[in-house]
Amino acid sequence: MNNYKKWFPIFVGPILLAFLMVVIIPMIVGIYFSFTDWNGITNTPNWVGIENYIKAFSDEKFGDAFKFTASFAVVSVFTINIIGFGLALLVTKKMKISNFLRSIFFMPNLIGGIILGFVWQFIFTKGFASLGSIFGWSFLEGWLSTTATGFWGLVILMSWQMSGYMMIIYIAAIQSIPDSLIEASQIDGANGLQKLRHIILPLVAPAFTVGIFLSLSNSFKLFDQNLALTGGGPYDSTQMLALNIYKTAFTMNKLGLAQAKAVVFLLAVAVITVTQLYYSKKREVEM
Amino acid sequence: MKRSKKVLALAVIFLLVSTMFLGACSNDTADDTKEPQTDENSEGTGDELAEAEVDIFQFKVEIAEKLQEAAREFEAENPNVKVNIETVGGGDDYGAALRAKFQSGQEPDIYNVGGPQDVEDWMSKLEDLSDEPWVDQALDGVLSGVTVEDKVYALPFAIEGYGFIYNKAIFEDAGIDVADIKDYSSLESAVKELDSKIKAGDLEDDYPLLEAVFSYPAKETWVTGLHTSNVALSQEFDSSLDSFDADKVAFEHGDGLKALIDLQADYSPYADSKAKLNAVDYATQVDEGIALERVAIIQQGNWIYGGVNDIDENVAQKLDILPMPIAGAKEDSIPVGVPMYWTVNKNSEDADKAASKAFLNWLYTSEKGKEYVVNEFFFIPPLKGYDNLEPKDSLGQAVKRYAEAGKTTPWVFMGYPTGWGMDALGVEIQKYFAGEVTWEELISNSQAKWEEMR
Repeated sequence: MNNYKKWFPIFVGPILLAFLMVVIIPMIVGIYFSFTDWNGITNTPNWVGIENYIKAFSDEKFGDAFKFTASFAVVSVFTINIIGFGLALLVTKKMKISNFLRSIFFMPNLIGGIILGFVWQFIFTKGFASLGSIFGWSFLEGWLSTTATGFWGLVILMSWQMSGYMMIIYIAAIQSIPDSLIEASQIDGANGLQKLRHIILPLVAPAFTVGIFLSLSNSFKLFDQNLALTGGGPYDSTQMLALNIYKTAFTMNKLGLAQAKAVVFLLAVAVITVTQLYYSKKREVEM
Repeated sequence: MKRSKKVLALAVIFLLVSTMFLGACSNDTADDTKEPQTDENSEGTGDELAEAEVDIFQFKVEIAEKLQEAAREFEAENPNVKVNIETVGGGDDYGAALRAKFQSGQEPDIYNVGGPQDVEDWMSKLEDLSDEPWVDQALDGVLSGVTVEDKVYALPFAIEGYGFIYNKAIFEDAGIDVADIKDYSSLESAVKELDSKIKAGDLEDDYPLLEAVFSYPAKETWVTGLHTSNVALSQEFDSSLDSFDADKVAFEHGDGLKALIDLQADYSPYADSKAKLNAVDYATQVDEGIALERVAIIQQGNWIYGGVNDIDENVAQKLDILPMPIAGAKEDSIPVGVPMYWTVNKNSEDADKAASKAFLNWLYTSEKGKEYVVNEFFFIPPLKGYDNLEPKDSLGQAVKRYAEAGKTTPWVFMGYPTGWGMDALGVEIQKYFAGEVTWEELISNSQAKWEEMR
């Protein structure tokens, strides 16, 4: 115990210092700036009280971005985790190419968001269009030019990128299920679906907590893919929160207002993800 | 087996960590420049400059390399001065990066501003350049956007012009005489004639890819919201200072603007489903449009020359510029203006400031500097005294031709409220194409935004 006390500051100290310097202090400075009319150039901004917050809440586009982000997050949390879990089930079957498939499915996660955005922009606008004209399917043409196709474009891109990562988490969880439990259920006569429903899913629940948390917070904070794929277009209808904040800051030069939006954003994401964690935790079963 | 895995893991960790450090360091090494070559026999620029180091933070990626070369030559003539150049491209990104640069305490000595709004924002960091020799040589109007209370704060990069860039050969083969195109109605009839010939397949043999007259990139809100709108609003405001001071926008030539936008949409490949124009971007319009002879006319500026030239030199030679006419206004001209300006940081040390001014002066007024500006940067000079240096590209020549004939209108979009052109009007135009708003709503929404953002 004594040892613990002696070592604690030595191990925690450096990280704590770094954390203070790059996260906590900038956050406090940021909160201060959200009450000013800072334009990013001079360091002596004027105090304007809660004016920025009033503006942020009365900003229609910010509200639209919030709605768009929320619906995107809901849909993509489902698709990412369902696909990720499906892939995990697939590659934990004893197949010869399992390891190969794992690398393939994980690969998209290693590519940067900006590059992915441009690659998929090409696929959606050029690839889809030429497929559409070959087969005469008009729904494949003009992708990303409407709100709906922009939305589904983002969902497809994110599912493709994130599912592989979630797959890794689910693989670990599935592999940690003792064989004895599976065998016992087989002896009791459970079929594949029953095994999944009553043995695997409950025991993988902790992984779902993590998976849903990661995909939820990532979807809310999405920036690069949004910027590169649609850039908020058409007519800013696919603009997500982070992009809206960025544009407020660097296109409109209203850094104070952007900072206020960022604080609102931080609180919203925190509340949503903490609520999710609380409820998911409750569903987990102990072995 | 275990052991080798451990070694592998260690190697991977080492690699990752070292790339992190390398990545962090490369920023510093990138702008490390060679020691100035001290040439005892160089003539110098007259006044001996004191020991100084000039840090330039600029945004034009296209000239980055040649600017380095120019800087080396300047160093050779002025052995006491060292010039460091850092380039960050793009519109928004430059503004953000410049702010970060100033915030971090590494203030550059020379940097770029874009117009009246920038001048107001950065006023506390701008050196008064009114006494510089190039001020007197400036062409009419190029300094108006950066002059406050009779003091000049910046040196224009270049002048640029845009209009309807068209492919001369296609027009010739279609039997349309461009000399007749002087106003909106003659433009419209020429477009209709060309369109009917394309649809009838008359031009298919020579131009197999040609599919429409126009390509209009509604995705690029700077093309629609800034450039197209400027044609109408420059009839309403006399200069960017005028639009900068205006509390309201009337859209006096709103109908003419509508006609120009509709013309480009109706004779594009997406005439039947205009919402798809909202996915057309710069690359589709230029690289896969005019450069491949897929379309005959696009609304763009002389800056596209290099890109088209890289794709097809023959096509680049065939390009010329048609006026952008607003019916009932000045119809035979193109908008010409200054995209960006050089400024000197007021808070730099005196020796650095003097060297910075000397460098800008050398670049734009000395014979060697002029050579760089015209033949290496492909700029159309904003100053007088470049008589023996002609632009070498077809579009630069076209812009110069309009400028010399006085057939120009100013760029007033530099004075729009920050973000209005692209994020209000440009977005409204996208909504208009998508059928979300009518033209009347577009006008009233944009007017309301202007007043709100002022």
